[in-house]
Amino acid sequence: MAARSAPSPFRDWTRRATWVDWFLLGLRVLVVAVVGYGFVSGMANPRYGQAEWFSFIVFGLSIGSIYALIALGYTMVYGILRMVNFAHGDVFMFGSYSACFALIASDRGGLLDANPALAIAIAVLACVTVSGGIAVLAERIAYRPFRKGRSLAPLISTLGLSFALAYSARGMFGAQNKAFPSIPSIDGIVTIAGFAVPKVQLFVILAAVATMIVLTLIVMKTKIGTAMRAVSEDQDAATLMGINVNRVIVFTFALGGALAGIAGLLYGLVFAQISFMMGFFLGVKGFGAAVLGGIGNIPGAMLGGLALGMVESLGPALFLEGLGIEAPYQLRDAIAYTMLVMVLIFRPSGLLGERLSKRA
Amino acid sequence: MLATTALAGVAHAVTVGPVTDDIGVIEIPEGDPIQIGGLMVLSGPDSSLGLDQSRGAEIAFADRDEMLLDHPIQYLPEDGQCSVEGGQTGATRLAANTQIVAVVGPACSSEARGGGPVLWNAGMPMAISSATAPALTAQDRPEGFQGLVRFVYNDLAAAAAAVEYVQSQGFARVATLHDGSLYAEQLVQSFQEQFKAAGGEVVASEAIAPTDTDLRPVLTRIGTGAPQILYAPIFVGASAYLVRQAGEIRSMADVPLLGSDAVLAPAFLDAAGDDAVGYRIIGIDNDPAVLGERYVEFVQKYEDEFGEPPIAGFHANGYDAASAVMAAIEKVAVTEDGTTYIGRKAFRDALMATKDMPGVSGTVSCDPHGDCSAAAFAVFEFTDSDSSSFEVGVNPKKMWP
Repeated sequence: MAARSAPSPFRDWTRRATWVDWFLLGLRVLVVAVVGYGFVSGMANPRYGQAEWFSFIVFGLSIGSIYALIALGYTMVYGILRMVNFAHGDVFMFGSYSACFALIASDRGGLLDANPALAIAIAVLACVTVSGGIAVLAERIAYRPFRKGRSLAPLISTLGLSFALAYSARGMFGAQNKAFPSIPSIDGIVTIAGFAVPKVQLFVILAAVATMIVLTLIVMKTKIGTAMRAVSEDQDAATLMGINVNRVIVFTFALGGALAGIAGLLYGLVFAQISFMMGFFLGVKGFGAAVLGGIGNIPGAMLGGLALGMVESLGPALFLEGLGIEAPYQLRDAIAYTMLVMVLIFRPSGLLGERLSKRA
Repeated sequence: MLATTALAGVAHAVTVGPVTDDIGVIEIPEGDPIQIGGLMVLSGPDSSLGLDQSRGAEIAFADRDEMLLDHPIQYLPEDGQCSVEGGQTGATRLAANTQIVAVVGPACSSEARGGGPVLWNAGMPMAISSATAPALTAQDRPEGFQGLVRFVYNDLAAAAAAVEYVQSQGFARVATLHDGSLYAEQLVQSFQEQFKAAGGEVVASEAIAPTDTDLRPVLTRIGTGAPQILYAPIFVGASAYLVRQAGEIRSMADVPLLGSDAVLAPAFLDAAGDDAVGYRIIGIDNDPAVLGERYVEFVQKYEDEFGEPPIAGFHANGYDAASAVMAAIEKVAVTEDGTTYIGRKAFRDALMATKDMPGVSGTVSCDPHGDCSAAAFAVFEFTDSDSSSFEVGVNPKKMWP
């Protein structure tokens, strides 16, 4: 009797596939075809030179690194608690305001010109302290009372806190947009490989990378970082091993808040204008970046943020222009979120996969 | 107190007391107030725009000692947030109060798009104080816009002025940027049509979303067209991002930027900081030398009442819109035994028929489509980033003509 050959994976898939699977397959093919056509068509009619493409990449990296820092706060909290802290965007906003006021004070005192490094250090201290503090308060006020329950209460609670923080900022700082001080020593242009790059953007990219390296060292090399990883792995087991879970959770909020504060400072330096509602839009982008990279996954948040920034910056020029769309940058958010949806269809757990606690 | 209204778009006559009207009659018992709404942006970065014209309306009411036809005037301003959704929400709140005769505003064309149909459906006309998009008073405007009567210039005129200025500077290649709002999109469209008709070339026509903060990629794209000037009639937040980021793009660093009177406000200086200095805008020219002694007196009242000079460019239009509303009420109201009756359609028709009214912004006369005001235009340049130094004519300083 002849041995029966194993069915091919494709034949096996077609046997088990439902109409939903066929629909999703068709969608994937369509997306690839449209993006491919847009890309090829755009390349066939080049509008941009090397300098422009280089600029797009730098713009994408600078905004992407800010998204990444915000995303890290979402992903660390979600990784441990399986909870989305919707007030995180407003923690970012407060970081931006505190850095702004610190820089204004330094400017008035002449420190910004005399010793810009110290002025920046003071601004970092201000935004890290304020944002970290607010994040810890958020944990205490809006999350901890609901931690034992299995309801949507924490989610709603953080949403409410988000509005409370935004409108508190409006009350304190006014409804008008506020100019963020520029730092003279990082104004101007620097030339890299023959391409002009604004110094402030280079500074922001490097500062964000340095912050992410410090975060990685904290998470991988310190005792509290090890405890964070243990809690994110299995809360019950961590408790049995003598880890103070409450302390770890508070530290995680503080660390996420501090990163958001630094993101607020960097955002202010790049975009030079802040407002009380900025946390909402940037928070959504940061959350999107965390999901894109794989929620709960720290390297995923970094990658997701950078990917989102790059797609926003490059996408309209790369795909939309080739499709003949007028004024493609008006659709920048649309292309970013479409990409997010597509990645989740192709790979539901995000680019690097989810890493979630076994028990929240 | 009884108020009877019917759908503005459906003609079926209603009789209340001595008045019969096609769409409804407002009955105001003796001693009750005549209620006039307001709908304009009162929060966010563009709040100066709305607040300024709302103050103008308040001065108009104060000039009548807050009384009209022996009734006190009650002014009820709502925030339209300079958006379609905000206009719709604010208008819905106003429309719920069936005693409101008319609404002064809105400030933004998007507010008119969202709120105009809601209010006209409730029989409440709007006396526009600074929404300038041509579509609002176009000959073929939809039914929902039939209640709009405009006491500010039409952007067809603003576009013509911008074309004249750009040509006077010798620029033949322009780029444009709008934010997708009804105001900016239509103004840019009118500008482009008129500029091309005058022999100019539009080398880039770009758009951003109103919430965009990173304009560098789109500015890079615009820079590839090598424009001689960028015309960007966008609002405060986006304009501040524009002036702060344009310098970072090598191909745009030396390209002059031209905005509009949507940023004729101290809030722009707060948002843009030092980069505001040198930024030019084209917009309404409230030069006392042009508008006359009446405007000077009006500004004095404004300063006495609110403790600061006008904070945007449309205070006089707010005054004129409110004055026209009161004049139209007087024209059509019927009082019997102390109770005042106002036919809604009759009121709208009277407002639309405003003719030769001596306004603060000039003589006001409506055309058959509801455009009632003309304006002189000027180019201004910001000279100082300190918002406390804001004073039209000084900072920003008049540069043209």
